[in-house]
Order: sequence, then C-alpha cells, then structure tokens
Amino acid sequence: MRIFACMLAILLVSCGREPLVQTQSYLFGTLVDISIYGESETKAHQAISQVLQNFQRLHHQLHAWKPDSELSQLNQSFAVGNTPVKVTPELSKMLIQASELSRQSDGLFNPALGHLINAWGFQRDEFTPVEINDADIQKWVKAKPAMSDIVIKDEMVYSTNPAVKLDLGGYAKGYALDQAAKILRDQGIENALVNIGGNIIALGRHGDKPWRIGIQHPRLATPMAMVELLDGWAVGTSGDYQRYFELNGQRYCHILDPRTGYPAQGTQAVTVLIPPGENAGVMSDVASKPIFISGENAKAEAAKKMNVAFYLIVSAQGKVTVTEGMSKRLNWLIKNPDLKVLPD
Amino acid sequence: MQINTTLDDHRVAKLAALAIGLHLLESIMPSPLPGVKPGIANIVTLFVLYRFDFATAAWVSLLRVFATSLLLGNFLSPTFALSLGGAIMSLGVLGLAQYLPRQYFGPVSLSILAAFAHMIGQLMLVRLWLIPHTGLAYLVPLFMAAALLFGLINGIVTSHLLAAYPKPAD
Amino acid sequence: MKALFSQFKFSRILIGDWILFFAALLLVIFLFKTYWHIESATKLQIRQGDKIYATLSLNQSRTLLIHGPLGDSKISIQNGQVRFVSSPCRNQYCVHQGWLKHSGQVAICLPNQISLELLGADKPFDSLNY
Repeated sequence: MRIFACMLAILLVSCGREPLVQTQSYLFGTLVDISIYGESETKAHQAISQVLQNFQRLHHQLHAWKPDSELSQLNQSFAVGNTPVKVTPELSKMLIQASELSRQSDGLFNPALGHLINAWGFQRDEFTPVEINDADIQKWVKAKPAMSDIVIKDEMVYSTNPAVKLDLGGYAKGYALDQAAKILRDQGIENALVNIGGNIIALGRHGDKPWRIGIQHPRLATPMAMVELLDGWAVGTSGDYQRYFELNGQRYCHILDPRTGYPAQGTQAVTVLIPPGENAGVMSDVASKPIFISGENAKAEAAKKMNVAFYLIVSAQGKVTVTEGMSKRLNWLIKNPDLKVLPD
Repeated sequence: MQINTTLDDHRVAKLAALAIGLHLLESIMPSPLPGVKPGIANIVTLFVLYRFDFATAAWVSLLRVFATSLLLGNFLSPTFALSLGGAIMSLGVLGLAQYLPRQYFGPVSLSILAAFAHMIGQLMLVRLWLIPHTGLAYLVPLFMAAALLFGLINGIVTSHLLAAYPKPAD
Repeated sequence: MKALFSQFKFSRILIGDWILFFAALLLVIFLFKTYWHIESATKLQIRQGDKIYATLSLNQSRTLLIHGPLGDSKISIQNGQVRFVSSPCRNQYCVHQGWLKHSGQVAICLPNQISLELLGADKPFDSLNY
C-alpha cells in the first residue's frame, strides 16, 4: 500500500513539473515553434497561447496581400493619392522604425517594394515560376518607391509616391519575436525559445545548458553549424533556399535588389547573430538582408552600417566567410568548411 | 553385400557423427542474439581438414548440414537454406585458404576466414532472397563481430585438439 | 575441458594468425563506424498542424499517408532514414529535402502543415535556424 502511495506521489509530482513544453503551429504563413523550460504545463501553455494569439493578430494586421489587413488598406490609399490615413500607434511605431532601418541600410532594406515583389509572384502563399516581365520590373525600379516617400505625423500616414506598396515581410517576423519575448517575460517566464519561420530569440537557458541552435546548410538537408544562443540573443538567416523558384536552370529567390529590381545574386545565405537588446528580434530579421543583397566586396560595409558584428556568409560557390566573433561562437557540424575568417 | 571400410572411414564417420551431435546440441541452446551461434560443429570440419583432406572436410560439413536439418525437421526450409549457404561459402573459402603457408597460418586463420565467409554468405542470402530491405545494416557489425569472436575461439580449440590428438600411426 | 585450458599456449597461434586476426578486427571496427552512427536517429516524430501525429521507430520499412489541409503526403521510412515521397504542395521543397537520417534533421511541408523530425538519443540542438 505504501509503495503504491509513493508511486502515485511520484507520478503526480512529475506530471506537474514537466521540464520542457514545446509546441509547433502553422501561423504567419510559416512554422512557429515555441519551447518553454522549467514551468508547469498550465503556465507554459497559457503563455504560449498568449504569444500565438498575438502572432495571429499581427499576421492579420500586417498581411501584405490580403485586402482587408490594416497594411493593405494603407497601401490602397497610397496608390490613389496622398490623403493621410489614421493608423494604430503600433503600426505607426513600426513604420517609423522600418524607415530608420531602411535609411541605415542605404535603401537595400526596402519595405516599400511591394509592387516589385508582387511582379515576381512572391506575394502569394506558394511560388511558381512567373514569366519575367522586364518592362514591368523596370517600371517599378524607375518609380523608386522608398520609405522616405512616406510621411508619418501624429499617427496619420500618407505617401508622396503612389508606387509605394508596403510589404513588411523582412521585418514582421523579427518584430513578432521581440513582442513574444516581452509577453513571455511579463508572464514571468525566464527560459524559452521562440522560432518563427527560422528566426529565433532565446530567453534564459535550457536547464543547465544554453539553448543550442542549428544553422541550416543552404544546399544540404542537414545543419552546417551549431551556435549557442544566450539569454536575449537572436539569430536570423536570409537565404536563397527558402522562398524561390527556378526557371530555365536559374534560381530566383525572394530577396530583391532594389537597385536592379531582380533577385539578389551571388549569395546562398547570410546568418546574423544579434546581442541582447530591445530590438534584437527586429535586427535578426532585417539586418541580414542588406548584407545578402550587397556585392561580395560591399558586404562587410553593409554589416557595419547595420551594426552587425557577428555574421556568416555562404557565397553562391559555397565558400563561407565569418567574422572572428562569429567564428568563436560556432561549432561546425560539417567537415572542412571552405572557411575564411574576417578579423573583428 | 559387404562394403569394405577402412580405418579412416571409421574415423571420419565418428567425426561426422560428432559434428552432427555438436550441431544438434547447439540448436537447443539459447543464443544471446538471434542468428548468432558459436558454430562449434565447425571445429570438427576444420579438424577433418587438417587430419584428412579438403574433400573429406567438405563431405563431413555437408553431411552435417543435411543430416541435422532432416533430424530437426527443417529440411528445405529457410533455416536449411541459410545453413547450406553458410556451409558452401565457408567451404569455398577453406578450399582456397588451405593453401596458405602452414608455418604462418594455423587453424585460427582458417577458422576466422571460414567464420567470416559463413556469416557473409548468410547475410547475403537474407538480404537478396529471404527478407530483402530490412534494417540489416544495423545488425551487420554485430554479426561480423560475433563471427570474429567465435572464429577465433573455434580456431584455438581446433589447434589444441590437433595437438592433443595427433595423427594415429596405422 | 580443464585439461584443454591448462594447456593453452599462445605459441599455438602463429604469426599469420595474429595478422589476420587484427586485420579482421579492423574490418569489424570499420563496420561499426560505418553502420552505427553515434548521432544516429532512432525515432521519427511526425507532426500534422499543431498536433503530434505519431512517434515511430526508424528501424522499420514502411510508407505512410498523412492527411493535411491540401491532401495526402506520402512518407517512406527505410533503413533508419525517412523522406517525403510525394506531397500535394506546388513547390515540392519537402520532397527535395531527400532522406533524413541524423537526429535533429527536419523536413517540412509547409503548405500541407506536416513536419518530420528525427529524434535520437542526444539531439544536437534545440531548434533550427533557416
């Protein structure tokens, strides 16, 4: 009888204290993976559902091509003229931040390029090769839609350039990550890992070990390296292997070079590691893009402009370049990477 | 009608009976890993190879395979096929290995080679004919390790038996 | 029997025997290294939508049909590996991932909301950045 009572007690205690709670959901048009360590199942699931609800809200609000999202409605008013439209304080803040980042990247990060992205067929849930209409593309490039065309004052927004169409694809996931971290911390969660479509932010540790992140190889079905993500750090990758189509043996990825109007060439992937900060999530999403788009000799400069000290580049030929700081933090999982280390 | 038998015939017959007996004994003993047996009857095969000749050893070995399968009731079954397949492969290798210089290579070498051949033969049979597409890869290292171990032990035992029972002068 | 053991002499094992034994030993070690990956995965976890659909052993030979919003995705488990054989999605990224065999490896069919993840004794990392 006593043994039975002991067993029951152990069972109950172990049921209450589940070390790792992990959920996976399809939101934001992508896979969202949340892990919470060292909290009761109830508390963990409560926190997770709050985070997911927030994602749903953001997804609906910022959808780049569904006509009823707040963003689409703003875009519609941009297209017809320059009548100011009232936006939520949150969206206003987002636009201001995105504008600043765009300026910081010398326009390589350009969320105003919605029409160009659409011309390439990337404003859809699934991508198929499109007939490349060079005339159309050049039209949008010449129109030079930029964040600087947008005027934001007292939550009233208008655009001086009708070619501006906002697409926050390279920003929203990062923003959602920062929000998730905030929600979790407010709930008293100290150890968690949030992964939105590959962009990850870490809180605390995985028990007695730090959170370990695998970095996907751009061409193989296996991760190429592992990095330990400490409290508050975030990691993001821009790659040509996530959203792309192939036409006549050529790969066209979804990261467009605003200067040419065509998908950026010459790089397979750029991974950036961002230290803790209020905008770690946003930077992990945004900062990799200007580096990806820049030519081989301009990448280091682009990284500097975005204040990114830890990054990894895989060139189109598969050559890897890392900064010294990044190199120290990486554990290679593949043999003999063709590696070049840049001094910090 | 009388068949004239020589003393050697008697000796070989006794050894063949011993081989059959050992095989039967082994078949009722449990094995740690299914499909892995010490193969002690092979000691007799090797012993006969050294004491007599290859032809006799082959005869004893094949007789053992047939007789035991008949006695155990699995004649022409997959078990029989595996037993025969293994025996043929190991005899094939022994047929070649017997020409290795005797001052460097003793019964231990022949036993290990025969054990490997036996195991490889059986693995190939399983893979190609009996149960294709199994997770065989996982088991291969284990089986070959067993073949190595038992090949070694059987070889050592054989070499001791050969020393303990020298060729009778007749 | 005892007499046999007491007579055991290493001298009965000849030089060629030793050479052969060690060569055979190296072969066996090589086989273990090749077929027994330390990071080898043992289980497959299939998720459909936000639920765990099944956790299966990789030591079997099997094809499965998993039903998602777009239709059925076919996956195949063989020889400790798994892959998407076919899927109703347009881009077939999941199928192009090919065979997964190390723990931690993941293949996802995003449109059909199905993910395959290999679990092993020690997962090398907690999450994948891509």
